[in-house]
Amino acid sequence: MKTKRTFTILAVVICMLLVLLGLLTPSLNRVGSLNRVRKFSTSGLHLADVREAELLAELHPELATLGAVAEDEIWVIAKPERSEAEGTEYETPGSGAMLAKIKEKDVPLPLKHTDVKGHVCGYIATVEVTQQFQNPFSEKIEAVYVFPLPQSAAVNEFIMVIGQRRIRGIIRERQEAEQIYAEARRQGYVASLLTQERPNIFTQKVANIEPGKQIDVNIKYFNTLAYADGWYEFTFPMVVGPRFNPPGYTEGVGAVGRGKAGLSGQTTEVQYLKPHERSGHDIALAVDIDAGVQIEEIACTSHAIKNSRAAPERVHVQLSPLDNIPNKDFVLRFKVAGETIKSALVTHRDERGGFFTLMLYPPDDLRQLTRAPMEMVFVLDCSGSMSGEPLDKVKGAVKRALRKLEPDDTFQVIRFSDRASQLGADPVPAMPENVRKALRYVDSLQSSGGTMMIEGIKAALDFPHDPRRFRLVSFMTDGYIGNEVEILGAIHEHLGESRIFSFGVGSSVNRYLLDRMAKLGKGAVAYIGLHDSGTEVVDRFYDRISHPALTDVRIDWGDMEVSEVYPRQIPDLFVGRPIVLTGRFQGRTDTTITVGGGLGEARRGIRIPVTFDDAAATHPGIACVWARKRIEDLAGRAACDSDLDVSGEIKHVALQYGLMSAYTAFLAVDSSRTTEGDHGVTVVVPVPVPDGVRYDTTVQD
Amino acid sequence: MKANVGAGFKPAQTGVLVTLCLVAPLLGSIPAGRTSKAPEQRVRFAPVHIYLDSGATPLAAYQFELKAKTGQIKIVGVEGGAHPAFHAAPYYDPAALMHDRIIIAAFSTGADLPTGRTRIAAIHLQILGDAEPEYELKLAVAADAQGHSLDATSSIERGVRQ
Repeated sequence: MKTKRTFTILAVVICMLLVLLGLLTPSLNRVGSLNRVRKFSTSGLHLADVREAELLAELHPELATLGAVAEDEIWVIAKPERSEAEGTEYETPGSGAMLAKIKEKDVPLPLKHTDVKGHVCGYIATVEVTQQFQNPFSEKIEAVYVFPLPQSAAVNEFIMVIGQRRIRGIIRERQEAEQIYAEARRQGYVASLLTQERPNIFTQKVANIEPGKQIDVNIKYFNTLAYADGWYEFTFPMVVGPRFNPPGYTEGVGAVGRGKAGLSGQTTEVQYLKPHERSGHDIALAVDIDAGVQIEEIACTSHAIKNSRAAPERVHVQLSPLDNIPNKDFVLRFKVAGETIKSALVTHRDERGGFFTLMLYPPDDLRQLTRAPMEMVFVLDCSGSMSGEPLDKVKGAVKRALRKLEPDDTFQVIRFSDRASQLGADPVPAMPENVRKALRYVDSLQSSGGTMMIEGIKAALDFPHDPRRFRLVSFMTDGYIGNEVEILGAIHEHLGESRIFSFGVGSSVNRYLLDRMAKLGKGAVAYIGLHDSGTEVVDRFYDRISHPALTDVRIDWGDMEVSEVYPRQIPDLFVGRPIVLTGRFQGRTDTTITVGGGLGEARRGIRIPVTFDDAAATHPGIACVWARKRIEDLAGRAACDSDLDVSGEIKHVALQYGLMSAYTAFLAVDSSRTTEGDHGVTVVVPVPVPDGVRYDTTVQD
Repeated sequence: MKANVGAGFKPAQTGVLVTLCLVAPLLGSIPAGRTSKAPEQRVRFAPVHIYLDSGATPLAAYQFELKAKTGQIKIVGVEGGAHPAFHAAPYYDPAALMHDRIIIAAFSTGADLPTGRTRIAAIHLQILGDAEPEYELKLAVAADAQGHSLDATSSIERGVRQ
């Protein structure tokens, strides 16, 4: 009996121990390897128990002195686990023990330097971007960097450079590329992956960078330059601005402080350096311009530059080494000899057929005509990210615009942040008294809260159109939102007879959103940098809209046998503002393109002679530019119709032309050797908030 | 007073408890949502090195196609060859890749061109499965500096080459 009882007691005790072990299993798993331990955040909790502390000390000797530090400095190893996709893995060495090695204000990071080399030929730019990743830590890392590129960039080349070796990346379906990268990373191979989060936001990952080693990634893209009022514009964005995402939205772009991975809950997340912090990451940029005709003037208001001329039509521009912090868009404008500007056709042929771009200029005589009365709607972004200089710029621009209205015009002023409000119930005539009231209203505006742009769009587009007037809706914003597709869908739905002129205000605005808004709204976009004169930009805008536009534009392509031209619907042609058309063609016979458009009741026409002789302008990047425009068109249609599934078509075009897209990715693996040990810690590269943007009103911290 | 730990448990109850206690830790170790799963295919990475022998004629351009006759491969990177003329990473045809064809090409306009047997490229591959793939290499063209096609032989070497 005693034996039986003893056995029962022993059995129960053993079972209890087993249960206890079972409960402890997750904890033991958590501390089962050094790398896993490091994945946990440092916020919130204390060491769970002595056993974990012992294991941690054994695995991570530098933490053995934990007992000697103050309680609020103790490392935290217990936090609810989340999947890799949610971002918990993105721990920075700087947020744990390694933080002790970091001097205040100086944050060592794996992205050491970015080098940009642009070559402009006519109005097409070829740009090579080299990102130099270096591991400054004492253990292996994976570097993750979210960065911007121009929204129209056709990224078609990706090379990983390891010492003297250059491995060309392969374009693959995104999911497949991500899986291959994850496997290569897990097995210890040096690998890199480039994915697209938005047409102007990309993520670069480089796995298994060994201590002290450097790995470069070289990206090449083509894009067409913007042109307005005699000036071409080359832009290179350097930092992603902090985005606002509406409550409940998770597909956006989050903005969090350094080391706060996962805090935003968004699928893409940018980490920002605190205002007093500085990383060693700098940028060098050089552009060679071959305009083909004499360059009259060069201007860069965003950065200090040096330039040297090799010939009247060629100039070399270099970013000053004194202005090498990557915290604002680089914007370079150059003016070519006025009389030589004519509609320009550039072509390219290969085994896939013929491709072209046509920069179509409006007829000169539009300038002689005056405009019809307008219904002007000013929509001002007064959210927290516009705080300070950007809002001051907006106010100055709107006040200038109000003063330039004519008595036959009507106007409305709408502000939005978390919600929208407006000057009055309806648009009012631009009488001096109403203008004065509006000026006072604009002066009184302050910035705070989120960017619920949808509220501004509804308020601006959802009221009856006055048929006697041409309605222009002018959005003035930095575009710092993460739900672009929703916004573009709303514009398409509510647009009606309105034309949208979007003004991007700030040092690093969301050009993708603002460009798309203007395209959808059959208008145009302009940018006011912090060092630009808002008055000049508004004056140019008024000059443009002070003359009628050529509407209902139709093109007879002659013998060119043209197909698949983008944009599908040719926008109105405004004075000083050409449009770029991109398409495919067959035929080699010299011909004449005839462009016709409506001017009130009348029709006007332009004739453009086309020759295909040896002297005709060609550029090998045109095929990629066309494919990129086709992808943009497909994505744009999907934004306007949520039932439309274009992912297959986009993937097909992107893979066929070797281009980045939302559904494809570039991947490179060095399979010739494995690095030692596990894949190491993931280090997200934090970036500075853009120049003029406040950290405290825009970043979750 | 002795604690009568076993009191109150009937043998059958004790048996159930013991069983539960033994099973519980095992259940706890199975991640939620996981069901029985087929064994995963082995995945590994390895390069293959491509050689061309153009004899005494300097090699200025080439194009070849690589495929696996047996086994499953995915190209994950393309690297240049040994000679400076072909050191740059060669181009691949993205459209061909959509049809599981790996077509690689390069040319050099330099004066210093390789002769004899030279390594022209390294193809980094992901290999699925345990079997060592058998490769088929087709040289589409090799050309000299004047653009004339030349007789050349191609060959493959597997594995790491530093």
